[in-house]
Amino acid sequence: MAEKVIIMKNVCKDFKVLNRHEGLKGSLKDLFSRDYKIVSAVNNVSLEIEKGEIVGYLGPNGAGKSTTIKMMTGVLEPTRGEILVDGTIPYKNRTKNAEKIGVVFGQRSQLWWALPLIESLKLLKDIYMIPDKDYEDMLTLYRSLVDIEDLLHKPVRQMSLGQRTLSDILAAFLHNPKIVYLDEPTIGLDVSMKSKIRTLIHALNQEKGTTVILTTHDMGDVDALCRRIVIIDHGKMLYDNDIEHLKKFFGSYRTLKLRLSGDMKKEKEEIAAALPVCSVGMTEDEGWITILVDEEKRKVMDVLGQIQNSYKVRDLQLEEISTEDVIRKIYEDSAAEREKEKNAASADANTSEGGGAE
Amino acid sequence: MKLRKYLTFLRAGLIEMVQYRLSLFIMVVGNLLYLILIYFLWKAIYASAGTDRVNGMTFSDTLIYLVLATAMFTFMEMYSVWEIGRDIQSGKMVLNLLKPMEYRSYLFWSYSGTLVAHFLVTFLPTFIIVRIVTGDTIPLGLNLLQFLGAAAMAVIINYYIDFIVGTICIFTESIWGINIMKQVIVLLLSGATIPVAFFPEGLKTVVYFLPFQSIYNTPLTILIGKEPTENVLWMMGLQLFWCLFLGVVSRLFWNRSIRRITVNGG
Repeated sequence: MAEKVIIMKNVCKDFKVLNRHEGLKGSLKDLFSRDYKIVSAVNNVSLEIEKGEIVGYLGPNGAGKSTTIKMMTGVLEPTRGEILVDGTIPYKNRTKNAEKIGVVFGQRSQLWWALPLIESLKLLKDIYMIPDKDYEDMLTLYRSLVDIEDLLHKPVRQMSLGQRTLSDILAAFLHNPKIVYLDEPTIGLDVSMKSKIRTLIHALNQEKGTTVILTTHDMGDVDALCRRIVIIDHGKMLYDNDIEHLKKFFGSYRTLKLRLSGDMKKEKEEIAAALPVCSVGMTEDEGWITILVDEEKRKVMDVLGQIQNSYKVRDLQLEEISTEDVIRKIYEDSAAEREKEKNAASADANTSEGGGAE
Repeated sequence: MKLRKYLTFLRAGLIEMVQYRLSLFIMVVGNLLYLILIYFLWKAIYASAGTDRVNGMTFSDTLIYLVLATAMFTFMEMYSVWEIGRDIQSGKMVLNLLKPMEYRSYLFWSYSGTLVAHFLVTFLPTFIIVRIVTGDTIPLGLNLLQFLGAAAMAVIINYYIDFIVGTICIFTESIWGINIMKQVIVLLLSGATIPVAFFPEGLKTVVYFLPFQSIYNTPLTILIGKEPTENVLWMMGLQLFWCLFLGVVSRLFWNRSIRRITVNGG
């Protein structure tokens, strides 16, 4: 069994937030207020990550991703639960832990703004006390992976966002850390830069066996890099498994798109009536009839055969459900679930109030 | 090898300074303008006093002191409080905490390059000019060495005070007011704007028991070289005490605020 580099057991993080009041009077009141509420940012998350894995850590905005990462890196202390990163408790040994990790936050750079990249790298070499040989080897590896010659002597402030992100990633891997945390590394980048960065991350992971924790909103990153994904929303873990399982988790949906001869609107109605297990719709431009088929219930070929018996098919497309669709469905289901709970709770509250009035 | 880790920041800081050539130049000019202002202000004060000696200092004594104090200010002021505030507000603190270094030393050494650069481009030329213009008023001997030691300790004391104020800002979540207050107190009580000799007796006693006068008054008095050696040693001993004392206090303050950052997310 492979070595576990990160172990999280029932980790929770609560924040104490002051209940703010409105208006000037409210603000003045807040000055002396002790009226706090507890917000749970991460709720009972357990995770084990093995050496060399690339794990996609996904969730909608405000789901608790960054909070989890901050706990793993040791800048936040969990309220409850245990975290072990490479055998140490990160928040108790932050500096020691810092030597073994690399971090990239896509939205801000850790490089020295006014300095050329090479000077930043030299600084990092001394800060992390990287031996000369390892440093040279790493630079050689970088040269073989990306074209860095132009970047090396350019001050970071003159770089484009893509170049800066690339530089930040190189900086994060420089001291050959065990774990690298990448927080939305491809945010705001163009297609070709995104693919360049994905290739770089993949190559460094392969070459050095670095464990990579990647948070992103771009399913392209996930498809290109991650075997395993973890999904979190409102602090709760929703999914933790292989990306292949993800699609099965939701049934194996495929979309069949058909173009028929004749009046397609009328035909759509007829097909919808004939196929009660599928959801039948039409594309916006009314050029295609779309049939969402759950393969567990009915095979696509079967559906197609049935339609061909009664209609003349001029053209067809078959679409696999994308990771993005599945993830969106998970997010939406989770939101719907919460809505339901909320309604149930307020319904309870209403009945009990009603009971009190009698 | 630990020292190398820190000296590398000094080097980077120097490179960084040179990247902003124009700002260095403007700083020299701005400094000059301020000196002209001081000259006329104190000329007026001495003219209105009617004697050529006020509080035991002649016009040229006062001027030398203040010119050097101004030059010192350019390298002493580290703006660390702003830096801490910015790091907190922009969330960059998280990145700094993820470096395998103590934040307090990290911040200090990140600035050290600028400090040395400012010393070289403003203080040193100013001192040379003052020395040429005033002839032999300032001796060139042991006092120079003593000054370097005293100035180094002054930098550390000043930094610790900044750092303590910075950690307080982590709690108040606002910087401006507290920092301005700190600046006024430090500049006044340290003798940076008015020589301590001009203070009323009561205030002088108070100032004597505070760390601020160790920042400007001590190194400048030593540099001007009129104090006997035993006084100099006593003053430097006092500086050393403040270095150690404030070092401990700033560490305690930081440990408190880091708790707040790690518990409440800053």
